[in-house]
Amino acid sequence: MQTRVDPFLAAVIHGALENIAIEMGHKLMRMSYSSIIRESEDFGAALTDAAGRQLCECTMSTPLQSGPIPGYIHGILGELEKRGDSVRPGDVFMHNDPYGGASHGPDVGFAVPIFHVGVLAGFSVTTAHHLDIGALTPGSCGIVDAVDAYAEGLQFKAVRVYEGGRKVEPVWQILRSNIRIADLVVGDMEAQVAAARIGADRYSALLDQYGLDTVTGAYEDLLDYSEHLMREAISRIPDGRYKARTHIDGYLDSPDPALKELPIEVTLTVSGSDIHVDLTGTAPQTTNKPINMPLVGTVDCAVWLTLRSILLDSEIYGSIPQNSGLTRPITIFAPEGCLANPIFPAPVIARFCPGNAVADTVMKAIASAVPQQVSAGIGNLRVMAFSGVSAGAPWVHMEIMEGAYGGRFGKDGMDAVDTLYANTRNNPIEDIESHLPLRVLNYELRENVAGPGASRGGIGSIRSFELLEDGAVSVEGDGQRFRPWGFLGGADGSPAKVELARSAGGVEELPSKIPYRPLAKGDRITAYGPCGGGYGNPYERSPQAVLDDVLDGLLDAQAARADYGVVITEQRVDEAATQELRARHN
Amino acid sequence: MIALGVDVGGTFTDLILADLRSGRVTIHKTPSTPLNPAEGVVGGIKEVCELSGIEPGRIEAIFHGTTVGTNAMLVHDGAVTGMITNQGFRDILHIGRHQRPQHYSIMQDLPWQSRPLIQRRFRKTVEGRLDAKGAELVPLDEEAVAEAARDLGEQCVEAILVGFLFSYVNPAHEQRAAEVVRSILPDAFVTTSAEVSPQFREFERFTTAAMSAFIGPKVRRYVRELSEELRKIGVSGELRVMTSSGGLATPEMIAERPATTLLSGLVAGVRGGAWVGSHAGMERLVTLDIGGTSADIGIIRDGRLAEADARSARIADFPVMLPMIDIHTIGAGGGSIAHIDRGKAFRVGPQSAGADPGPAAYKRGGDVPTVTDANLVLGRLVADNFLGGRMSLDASASARVIGDLAQRLGRTPEETAEGALTVLNSNMANAIRSRTVQKGIDPRDFTLCGFGGAGPLHAAEVAAMLGMKNVLIPPHPGITSAVGLLTADLEYHALRTAFAVKGTLDVARLQGLFDDMEAELQAIFDRDRVPPGKVRMLRQADLRYVGQGYELKIDVPDGVVTAAALEQVWQAFHDRHRKEYGHAFEANPIEIVTVKVRGIGRVDKLRQPLAYDGAREPSKVGAGRCVFRVNDVLETFETPHIERTSLPAEKRYSGPAILLQTDTTTVVPPGWTYWTDRHGNVRMSRNREA
Repeated sequence: MQTRVDPFLAAVIHGALENIAIEMGHKLMRMSYSSIIRESEDFGAALTDAAGRQLCECTMSTPLQSGPIPGYIHGILGELEKRGDSVRPGDVFMHNDPYGGASHGPDVGFAVPIFHVGVLAGFSVTTAHHLDIGALTPGSCGIVDAVDAYAEGLQFKAVRVYEGGRKVEPVWQILRSNIRIADLVVGDMEAQVAAARIGADRYSALLDQYGLDTVTGAYEDLLDYSEHLMREAISRIPDGRYKARTHIDGYLDSPDPALKELPIEVTLTVSGSDIHVDLTGTAPQTTNKPINMPLVGTVDCAVWLTLRSILLDSEIYGSIPQNSGLTRPITIFAPEGCLANPIFPAPVIARFCPGNAVADTVMKAIASAVPQQVSAGIGNLRVMAFSGVSAGAPWVHMEIMEGAYGGRFGKDGMDAVDTLYANTRNNPIEDIESHLPLRVLNYELRENVAGPGASRGGIGSIRSFELLEDGAVSVEGDGQRFRPWGFLGGADGSPAKVELARSAGGVEELPSKIPYRPLAKGDRITAYGPCGGGYGNPYERSPQAVLDDVLDGLLDAQAARADYGVVITEQRVDEAATQELRARHN
Repeated sequence: MIALGVDVGGTFTDLILADLRSGRVTIHKTPSTPLNPAEGVVGGIKEVCELSGIEPGRIEAIFHGTTVGTNAMLVHDGAVTGMITNQGFRDILHIGRHQRPQHYSIMQDLPWQSRPLIQRRFRKTVEGRLDAKGAELVPLDEEAVAEAARDLGEQCVEAILVGFLFSYVNPAHEQRAAEVVRSILPDAFVTTSAEVSPQFREFERFTTAAMSAFIGPKVRRYVRELSEELRKIGVSGELRVMTSSGGLATPEMIAERPATTLLSGLVAGVRGGAWVGSHAGMERLVTLDIGGTSADIGIIRDGRLAEADARSARIADFPVMLPMIDIHTIGAGGGSIAHIDRGKAFRVGPQSAGADPGPAAYKRGGDVPTVTDANLVLGRLVADNFLGGRMSLDASASARVIGDLAQRLGRTPEETAEGALTVLNSNMANAIRSRTVQKGIDPRDFTLCGFGGAGPLHAAEVAAMLGMKNVLIPPHPGITSAVGLLTADLEYHALRTAFAVKGTLDVARLQGLFDDMEAELQAIFDRDRVPPGKVRMLRQADLRYVGQGYELKIDVPDGVVTAAALEQVWQAFHDRHRKEYGHAFEANPIEIVTVKVRGIGRVDKLRQPLAYDGAREPSKVGAGRCVFRVNDVLETFETPHIERTSLPAEKRYSGPAILLQTDTTTVVPPGWTYWTDRHGNVRMSRNREA
């Protein structure tokens, strides 16, 4: 392969770029105020070139935040061009337009341009999920009844928050007056600007040291390198069309059939070292409900992330630089006006779960081509926002509830974990209860619900919260109607569910989407996480592995017998009875 | 007083026997015995005593660095461990922070699930619950605790962790449950989460404590056996073990808190570097300890070893919430392999040829190009004078493997070998940046102290990449860790979660916490029979702006806690925040999250290094062609090979030069001035234009 820059120098520059992105993320995490950034790590940090091509990303950030960063820059540049405006030294831009490259409204990006000898050389960008963005109800998730983009909160399209190095005070005043818990959110935004500026300084120093041409050449090489790896991996897949269809809940409690049990359809066409991803067949957009997914910023990230996690799995390939080169061999199409390519101003703020369902459907489509590199169907996630007013001060707490992976070739699915395009962290119980009028009542694995398979599906969690004062909850989930798919003879997994136990009495099973619902002191809400699908015939699962699950209390002896054909008596495998039972089954 | 330092590494056990008064030392290296580490230690002691002519009975103190606990974690070979925890929370250890270590991987494992420290079947739950302020919501079900203990006993569990929510505020439930367990299973290793690390964040605290239980029986057994073996060969001196925080602890303390030894072996090296540096008048150092497979980086600021930030420390991919020296390890060493990866990019490491088969030059069947081969091709290692001639290298084998790689790259062998070193050096420079520049420290004010088998080969070029002007190579780079053991004090830590906010803070409560911790530590020093005059208490606190999740460590003045003293603390926090992150939120309230006391019990240690004179003239044992990059062009220099110990003290020479000694080779590139100081350190200083 021809390179532009000496391979030794290129390796030095690549290391330096990665170091810069890590430093940005490290500082953002440590400076920020709200737990969604500092504990959940729902943020992104990356450098791009002047055109918005991503050069490197912070390894700590979550993929769904770093992935869209090129889109943010394209959105900012496009918006400026429309206005006849341009980027000048000392500017800092704020952007969250989901129809202009941003992931969704609460993920606000701050971009610091980098100039080298008077010429725009790139951007240093941080993105982060903010607790509140001035939508109709408190919090920035579970806004499941926003009717259009305007109901989702403030929209920023390439807004200058610094101009010529000076703070644009009116903008900050608008933020302070329109966002709940503004101290936290604006503090986080300032931290984002500070971290992006550090990245810009470091990148400038790198340009001063090596010159723009050399650095440009080195990252062009880096893009080629990533592209080359991806192409090589795609080439190993037989040419052809690979198709899959899954369903999302939508609004299960809605009388409108167009709002529930919605199909997601993916057709992958592999030819040579290219993949074309077509989402034709996916349900039409939900014009007045916000589960639509912007094509740029959500759908594209879901597709890219899934393909690279399968084809260039870092467990096998080691760490591969995440940059725009990886996505060059992949083209994506979704018909305008479908869930995966909505038309403005269709609302999109609750696109988190459907987006991960797209990721899961891409995996399902490619599974038959690379059966040893995928998992069976994943359990999707759920976001919950608790809010209230305590001692006169409003509070908001966001919690991302984990899913689980499906079984894998030779390995069980990962239990109770963020899946595919999300990779956040939970909040420590001891942090939650120290700072909020909430109590966590349990946090464990579910029992007797795993998806059976030669490799069983990962197990979901159970987690309950009690309100210690009057407050409210909003829930944005999915995966309560449909089971995660089993693969190669593995059984389907288990769906999620949510229960509300009222302090006044009565237990109610809730749908996966609950707009702002007032709760009384003592009300308890319990989230049951989904369990991933099984992989391979459960009757071929090693009896010892079945016994281990029984000993660990994850499976009872009856289920061992019924689902796996393994007979367990007195905490031992009855080999003879097991053989006989399994033989009879075949 | 005669003292012995013994550091057990993966391959070698290093020993240094010292007469602390005269400063006379005897050093020795012997193969480690991983299956029974005490055997190698005792054998090594006998040998070093023989070498020095000192009877083992005259050794008054033994200072020890061990990897027994670390290895148990790394190979996941610990005790069968059980846990008793709150009802409803059986799987905190299993779910963790519900995050995957790798973003882009389907086939990865979650370490806490694929190799659990405590299997689910051994995690028992009981009723009992405290709230965030430590008030009891549900009383502890002691009968259930007893039943769980009996159950675990029947299943042959050797170690038990008692871990309850909010025990860092109120340890009563944990302590009571531990008492019940001990009464039923007197031989089990029983620990509570609050006694290991009384800090909030249940997954990290439980995991740290689970590690303690997992390695506890093994570490305890080892310390006991070693003490016995030492007595058998007539050593009556006291045994002291280095902990992860860079201090020493008694065998009793180690048996109680085994997790404090997790970095035992690594820390001693940084200590050694700090000691050597301080005698050379350098209080700001970056230590770079390079071996065959990895490089360990430590930072010393104003004579103090930098501490790891509580939430970055990990062992075997598990989080550790304990005071630890900040040591950053990367996969870069003499055995690191230079290769073209699947994407056709040039890389060095992290894969390593290790010691076996090792580099091609070792003639043990290694046939891939390594950093050692690159050094040999460039003339920086001398084939017939490696490790003082104890081993000879095969230059033709190195030339062959580097030549093959060069051909695939379309470069000359020299370019390829030099490229490999540049990439390796830049990986190390980046790692150093992550611990300096990223934390608001300018490395240019620091001296780079290179040791380990390969540190002196690379130190000067790494320093140059970072803009550092000075390099220090200790007299015996191969045994710097063992030296470090002889330079430490007894050191214990106490810690309390405070959650006190500026403005509403209760000064008396804060005072009470410090008094309480100081009394706790004083009791331990009394037990260790440390005279009061030798005990010093240092206070610290972890602070953050209210709402943040990460804290910064700030020194707290001793004596009575006053408003003025606190004012100093708040100001120091703003300054530190600005320095570390480039930004301070001066208008925002500050919270003290934890308060800590570091108790130091002074012990006799290595004082001055021996005076060094050297010879009248350096003895040149040869010369050879050596390739260096000068002003971005590769140049070949006729370079002298000099016996390091012959260099006259304080006499300056110009690079390039290759300095030979029995434990390593030091490279002085062109553009550097070098000399040996009065303590026998090799010093290098970069000329202005280089």
